[in-house]
Amino acid sequence: MNDNKKKHLHISGDKIVLLAAIGVVFALFTVLNRNFLSVTNMINILIAASLVGLVAIGHTYLIIAGQNDLSPGSVAAFSGVVAAILVGKGVPFPLAVVLTIGCGILVGCFNAFMVNQIHLEAFIATLVTQSIIRGFAYIICDGKPVSISNKSFLILGKARIANIPLSVWIMILCVIVFGVILARTKFGRSVYAIGGSMDAARLAGLNPRRIITTCYIMMGILCAIGGIIFGARMNSGQPAANVNLEFDAITAVILGGVSFAGGVGDMGGTILGIILIQAFNTGLTMVNVPSFWQYVAKGGLLLFALTTDYIRKQKREKDLLAASMKNL
Amino acid sequence: MGSVLEFREICKYFPGVKALDHVSFKACAGEVLAFLGENGAGKSTLLKVLNGDYQPTSGQYLLDGVEKHFQSPHQAIEEGISIIYQERQILLELSVAENIYLGRMPVNRLGFIDSRKANEMAEEIIRDFGLPIRPTEKVKDLSIAYQQMVEIMKAYSRENLKVICFDEPTASLSDSEIESLFRIIGKLKAEGKIIIYVSHRMDEIRRITDKVAIFKDGHYISTVVTGQVPESEMIRQMVGRDLGDIYQNLDRNKTIGKVLLEVKNVSSDYVKENSFVLHEGEVLGFSGLVGAGRTELMRAIIGADRMRTGEILLDGKPIRNRSPHEAMEHGIVLVPEDRKLQGILSNLSVSDNINISLLDRNSNKLGFVNRAREEKTARESIRDFRIKTPSPDKKIVELSGGNQQKCIVARWISTSPRVLILDEPTKGIDVGAKSEFYQMICDFARQGLGVILISSELPEVIGLSDRIIVMKSLEIAGEVSREEATESKLLSLGMMGEVQES
Repeated sequence: MNDNKKKHLHISGDKIVLLAAIGVVFALFTVLNRNFLSVTNMINILIAASLVGLVAIGHTYLIIAGQNDLSPGSVAAFSGVVAAILVGKGVPFPLAVVLTIGCGILVGCFNAFMVNQIHLEAFIATLVTQSIIRGFAYIICDGKPVSISNKSFLILGKARIANIPLSVWIMILCVIVFGVILARTKFGRSVYAIGGSMDAARLAGLNPRRIITTCYIMMGILCAIGGIIFGARMNSGQPAANVNLEFDAITAVILGGVSFAGGVGDMGGTILGIILIQAFNTGLTMVNVPSFWQYVAKGGLLLFALTTDYIRKQKREKDLLAASMKNL
Repeated sequence: MGSVLEFREICKYFPGVKALDHVSFKACAGEVLAFLGENGAGKSTLLKVLNGDYQPTSGQYLLDGVEKHFQSPHQAIEEGISIIYQERQILLELSVAENIYLGRMPVNRLGFIDSRKANEMAEEIIRDFGLPIRPTEKVKDLSIAYQQMVEIMKAYSRENLKVICFDEPTASLSDSEIESLFRIIGKLKAEGKIIIYVSHRMDEIRRITDKVAIFKDGHYISTVVTGQVPESEMIRQMVGRDLGDIYQNLDRNKTIGKVLLEVKNVSSDYVKENSFVLHEGEVLGFSGLVGAGRTELMRAIIGADRMRTGEILLDGKPIRNRSPHEAMEHGIVLVPEDRKLQGILSNLSVSDNINISLLDRNSNKLGFVNRAREEKTARESIRDFRIKTPSPDKKIVELSGGNQQKCIVARWISTSPRVLILDEPTKGIDVGAKSEFYQMICDFARQGLGVILISSELPEVIGLSDRIIVMKSLEIAGEVSREEATESKLLSLGMMGEVQES
């Protein structure tokens, strides 16, 4: 029991650093621009975070499982266009959502197929998907944005509950549900296990391929939902949208303490990572950093995240060595 | 002439293991020094520290009184320290001369490689060694023994060679090949090199070494002059007790039951067709050289590799294991040889590691894991298997190797299996934990489990098994009962496929 407490305290040690970083970012941007802390801006940060957040949930699972995904930006854009076309053709909105999610599932299966059956590296496999799906996003709409007139579709982008947009609520709901699944269920435990050692997990009676496939399918679904919400907010399905979406999501997840080595991290860290990166992005725009320089800054942030990941890993190994010596 | 190699207080720690613990001694030029110790005693680790493959946690090593810090094997070779490993370190597609002068081929004035000069230089060394090979031959066309000679010549071709270490060099050599290796070692000795010879074979140690350094559990015990101390005394120092006692004091199962598992003509991409039976309450040993196909046969049986032919009967009924998961559901489980990569889940806790195969049983219909039940299983396992851990929530990698292995065994036993396959279960485990494992294996048999024990340690497999199957070249070469089992019988079956009466 006592040890349990210690474990939680230890985890929150990493989280405290992250909270402090968020505090510094908020303080810095508030000093530079008084409006940063305004309610409107906070809600804007949350709205912007809702799409990245959904994708980051998927990345949390995939990276813990030792995988990755570079296709979410394309899949989200493709999903927005598909949904817009479907409702444009008179398909009822709920059915259009189901069909779009179906497309997301297919993309997930395709990614999993390349990783499981052709034994491609996740990075390369999903790079293939990134290009193919982006291509299809343009092909099905002939490269032109598809405007949306369906009312219930548009409500998804406009409706607010307690002054907070529906899209944000959906993200919060997903974070909670998928967070609980990761922390408390058999499936979640299996994800950690295969991320630690695929061979050992298989010999222990788990089915790594099925777990990996499930993770990619989950990501497909999350991207589809994200794409639909984004389309609703833009009043159109845009084939060129969401480029580099995965970049922000991966940065958020790594900042949140998920290790690229696999097997380590949790949803709580991802939440903080999302808040940090969105505050950072929004803040850069508000203090008028030119957009070209924003790319440089984002790259810098990812490098920072990876460096902390590396340092944390070194520290884990050092702690481990010290701890194991005590037990000899 | 007159080189001296000295180790001072060398320590090398890995998570859970003190691989080397304050090791200090000297080796002198012109003598062959044997390293003697059980698997995991620290011999290979010390060699890897010496050649810069590992960095010591603390301590120094000195060559001719000068402290060295090799950052890589490459640097060690440059300074005259070479290790000849069991696995060949040569490039099969290149010629003998190209291998010998790899990375330092002679060049002509234009900077092009001068193959003719390299061949001439290699020819000279080959003649020196008295070997019937040509410098232009591709190494892949040579026998294993000559490939090893190429490695030795590669080390020898460096003018500053001072220390040459052999890590179980005879493991895959025939008798006549061993003779020519010994002749070369004699030559190196006469030229004043420091020679370190790691081997488990007492007869070899007796023949060619001058002194024996004995290791036990990461400690250096002592150096004795070969021939002046009886072998039984060396073994006693090496294991810290009389070997016979461990096995004689075991509380064995005396009643072997009916046939439990029948394996008929089972093969996979990695192993030929094999058949055997296992009874309830029986410990069935599997002996043979490394690479004889023992692990591969077991992997086919539990569905880790695809079974190509054959069938498996459990209680007389045919079963199919298409994955380790299905095998587990049939009650057939494997504790794998490579604990670090295939056994433990290094990122998870002791409790998670024990419970990972019970996820189905420990979760409800929605997939939620019942943590109270997991905690209970973990605590019971820790108690029953005497796993030394401060708490079930400790990371498994923080435990010692023996305790990690106990967690893996506990994982499987908690699934209530019928057949328990143990692949080299005591590899890299200290002697104290070993004897605990031995009693555990006997206990499992008494509870009616069929136990398959793969072990390369002959005393272990002889001391524990009711029956021993010996494999050679991916198939079963023969079977020996406990009463008739001797080390030499198992060895000759494993190496030649037949028992030679001597």
